[in-house]
Amino acid sequence: MFRVFVLALTGLPALLRAETIEALTPRANYLLNCGGCHGLNGVSNSRFVPNLKDQVGFFLNLPEGRSYVVRLPNVAFSMTTDEALTGLMNYVVFTLGGAKVPKDAKPYTVREVSELRRIPLTEVSLVQMRQRMVRILIDQYHATSDLSLYGEGDYGTSQ
Amino acid sequence: MTSPFDNMSERLTRNLARFSSRRGFLSKLGVALLAAPVFPLLPVARSARAAEPKSAGLKTDFERNSQTTDDTKCNYWKYCGSDGVLCSCCGGGHHTCPPGAEPSPISWIGTCVNPEDGKAFVIAYRDCCGKPMCGAGKSCWCDNSDRELPTYRSSLNNDIIWCFGNASATYHCSTAALVGEAK
Repeated sequence: MFRVFVLALTGLPALLRAETIEALTPRANYLLNCGGCHGLNGVSNSRFVPNLKDQVGFFLNLPEGRSYVVRLPNVAFSMTTDEALTGLMNYVVFTLGGAKVPKDAKPYTVREVSELRRIPLTEVSLVQMRQRMVRILIDQYHATSDLSLYGEGDYGTSQ
Repeated sequence: MTSPFDNMSERLTRNLARFSSRRGFLSKLGVALLAAPVFPLLPVARSARAAEPKSAGLKTDFERNSQTTDDTKCNYWKYCGSDGVLCSCCGGGHHTCPPGAEPSPISWIGTCVNPEDGKAFVIAYRDCCGKPMCGAGKSCWCDNSDRELPTYRSSLNNDIIWCFGNASATYHCSTAALVGEAK
């Protein structure tokens, strides 16, 4: 029986590795799930879709902001596994938004993302929620005014 | 009276029962069952699988007939999810807008398989906007749907006009820009 148990354990890592062989990189997952609208490098039409490049990192200054970016419906309901979404969000926040991420910010864990995406923001005004945080980030955390571009004026106008 | 054959088989069965234990058999069966899934994952098997095209055995209708030479045809490999009139028939290219039309900054993104190497690539389906619809011939009107989703998943849908982010939302034609390898 012991032999059987040992064999099960030694086989396990091989099985886990096999699961990830075909997995896409966080960058590819970003492109396929977010890049169409947010732009290949996190910049698109800034008034229509929020810029991520050098912007999204600011949100990690606030505990509410850290959870907000994962609880956004298109993030929470994305067609990704918890593991892939965690890699994707760490790519978005720390690579695309890296210049503005607070120094002591820790990467998202799979457990954290898994819990947050199960409480999506579906009962609030997302634009108002964002604007409230953006005001605090500009007033208290030296965020640049570009952060408030989204949600101002009409949609669909060129930059 | 028993036949020599009956005697022999009785001896065999009794010996088998005497010298083998049922638990021993069960543990060996357990080992075999647990070990079986491990063997296909040995390096040789894995590298063989990695060398196969991603979609091997699961080719879409489009992928069975795609080509890499003529981007004015609907079966050009990068158009696997294209729905609309091809910009390459309208004075543009498969990734550039015709003069006077503006690429939309907002698009949907999918993957297409290059039939020459079997690899999947990330493709951005950008519409060209700001001019009346291009009047190209019928062969330039495509309706492909690989990796496209229904309208209720609109961010990956190709029936809607992707001219949101532009000064003018008038649709002119469709492009399919290669972004990189899907890995």
